[in-house]
Amino acid sequence: MTAPRIMIVEDEALVALMVEDLLTDIGCRISGSFGAVDEALDYLKDAAAPPPALDGAVLDVNVGGTMVFPVAERLRAAGIPFVFATGYGALPRKGFEDVLVLNKPIDPVLLEGAVKGFGQAA
Amino acid sequence: MLNVANAERSEQADHAALITLVETIEALSATRTIEEVAAVVRSAARRMSGADGVCFVLRDGDQCWYLDEDAIGPMWKGQRFPMSACISGWAMLHGQTVVVPDIYADDRIPHDAYRPTFVKSLVMTPVRPKDPIAAIGAYWAVGQTPSPDTVIRLEAMARATAAAIENARLYASLNEALERRTFLLRELDHRVKNTLASVQSIARQTLRAAPTPTDFAESFESRLMGLSRAHELLTRQAWGRTDLRDVLEAALQPFGGLADPRFTARGPAIALTAETAVALHMTLHELMVNAAKHGALTSASGQVTVVWRIEEVEGDGEGGGGAGPSLVLEWVERGGPPVFVPKRQGFGTKLLERGVARDLGGEARLTYQPKGLSYALRAPLSDRIAAATAPRALA
Repeated sequence: MTAPRIMIVEDEALVALMVEDLLTDIGCRISGSFGAVDEALDYLKDAAAPPPALDGAVLDVNVGGTMVFPVAERLRAAGIPFVFATGYGALPRKGFEDVLVLNKPIDPVLLEGAVKGFGQAA
Repeated sequence: MLNVANAERSEQADHAALITLVETIEALSATRTIEEVAAVVRSAARRMSGADGVCFVLRDGDQCWYLDEDAIGPMWKGQRFPMSACISGWAMLHGQTVVVPDIYADDRIPHDAYRPTFVKSLVMTPVRPKDPIAAIGAYWAVGQTPSPDTVIRLEAMARATAAAIENARLYASLNEALERRTFLLRELDHRVKNTLASVQSIARQTLRAAPTPTDFAESFESRLMGLSRAHELLTRQAWGRTDLRDVLEAALQPFGGLADPRFTARGPAIALTAETAVALHMTLHELMVNAAKHGALTSASGQVTVVWRIEEVEGDGEGGGGAGPSLVLEWVERGGPPVFVPKRQGFGTKLLERGVARDLGGEARLTYQPKGLSYALRAPLSDRIAAATAPRALA
């Protein structure tokens, strides 16, 4: 089986570097790591075109003051599974109540479980 | 007999007015907002005065704000007038009740504002005469001299209203304080979790690069102390904007800060958001630690020059910045031992090249020249990073 291709949206570089490492360690390939919602949307213009070049995504919710939901919507429209990773305890996320939320600091075991879930969903 | 009957009727009227006043005070004591106070005042004042219309006017700085009214015809609800140009203003400025039997014979009245209304006579009484915060006006469509009883009743109501307004303001500020507290607690929770996530990242990545537990402990603690100093700086700024030079000073603190003659720092005042200040602090901390271990700070004659400036970029989109002004910051080491390109990329290098630059949508480059290491950061100005408006003395 080929390595799952994962996109990361996370505004804090330090946390992004760790998520990249965690994912690489469990056999994923980082297809893109973005610190801003705009950059992620730009990337998805191409990546979300079928067949998807992505197998899943890990999304911070508040990305430098901008909510990540437009990215989540585009991923959902393209049928690409994703999880949220956030430091906010309870966030309003109308329409995304069914999406798994990983709390920060990130539990590597839960992250691995979530990524395995991507494979099944795809 | 007639006089006795009149006296009885008058007594009954007094009695009724007293009951109305007590009911009004009760109703006012149950109010929680200025709007509720206004609603009680407007109907009670009209009942007690027998007037054809009443107004409830709030003082708002040097303006009279006609907040609410109850009348047979439209008056000035929602409008604002200068204190000096209306009779409610006069009453509030003088702390006195005004009785005007004929408004067109009184030059304190702005006649043009009254012409479209039914008003011929009025009483205006300030709320809290010593330092008026509002006024209650009663208006009649038929010219008359309002009775002393009417004036006394309106003044009694105004006194009860003063307490109600102050209560409403107290409630408003209490609610605001409670909301603020809830907000701060949520924000604190968020920041603690994000900080813990940063520490988690530092721990994992320091561990990756550490050959021994002792090396791990040393590097991890050094980074943790750096993070702690960054937070100290932010707390001093109440998590507001922080100046770049202060961030640099804090990062170099283990070396005595910029007072160490080996450091030269030059650049304009740049305001950073709290998050950016932490990220830049980590970067400068890594550079300092590296310089102390392998670079210019290993020798007494070493030099570290940190310069920053704002550069206008001709917009070709290259350099991560695109068009528009960018912050350019350079860290240049000289006078240390010869520098070699490291064989493997450690966490420090990764952080320097991808840390703050990624956060800011810019780019960073490490250059290993034999004469010394240099680091250059270029990041577009944004809401996270801005030229400070007040010029700052440069050292």
